Amino acid sequence: MPADHFLILTLYALLISVFFALLWRNERRDRAALFVKLFLALVLGALAVAWLMYPFPS
Amino acid sequence: MSESAVPPRSAAAEASRPVASARPGPPPLLAAALAWIFPGLGHFLLGRRGTAALYALIVSATFLLGLSFEGRLYSPEPGQPLTVLATFAVYGAGLLNLAARLLSSNPGGTILSVTYEYGCAFLLTAGLMNLLLMLDAYDIAAGRKS
Repeated sequence: MPADHFLILTLYALLISVFFALLWRNERRDRAALFVKLFLALVLGALAVAWLMYPFPS
Repeated sequence: MSESAVPPRSAAAEASRPVASARPGPPPLLAAALAWIFPGLGHFLLGRRGTAALYALIVSATFLLGLSFEGRLYSPEPGQPLTVLATFAVYGAGLLNLAARLLSSNPGGTILSVTYEYGCAFLLTAGLMNLLLMLDAYDIAAGRKS
């Protein structure tokens, strides 16, 4: 299976965000808002960590 | 140190008390057990069919992606205490985990695969999500959550 790291990361963030939006909120509008927040936090947070780690190759 | 009198219950404390007695429903333990057997089944029992279907889709997709990424279905190993926690997490996926162990040709995953770590993360996450669903179904059945 080809490994597109960003695609897998995005897929993971999508599943996690939908799950917790459903679990933690009851109203449709609240769920959508939480989903967007979680998804952006996970994807942008991962990109930020990747950027910070860039000067330190393995 | 003197003993103080028991303070009277506040309105907030009264409001947070379980309200299960108002409407009889399925036993909380049954809801939690069904939620473990298959993701969303506990919520289905509680009449939340749309949410149950979404939970089933999300947790199953996460688990199957983990398998397709050649992740590992953990088992306890001597000298590796963290594998006990990982095993607990993966077993949280219920029948999905048991079926995968029986049917998969590669339950230990492929450690040399470039997607191995992703697969492990997806499998562990699916199990932990289902454990949260068990607690959620229990709380709803017990009247602690609306």
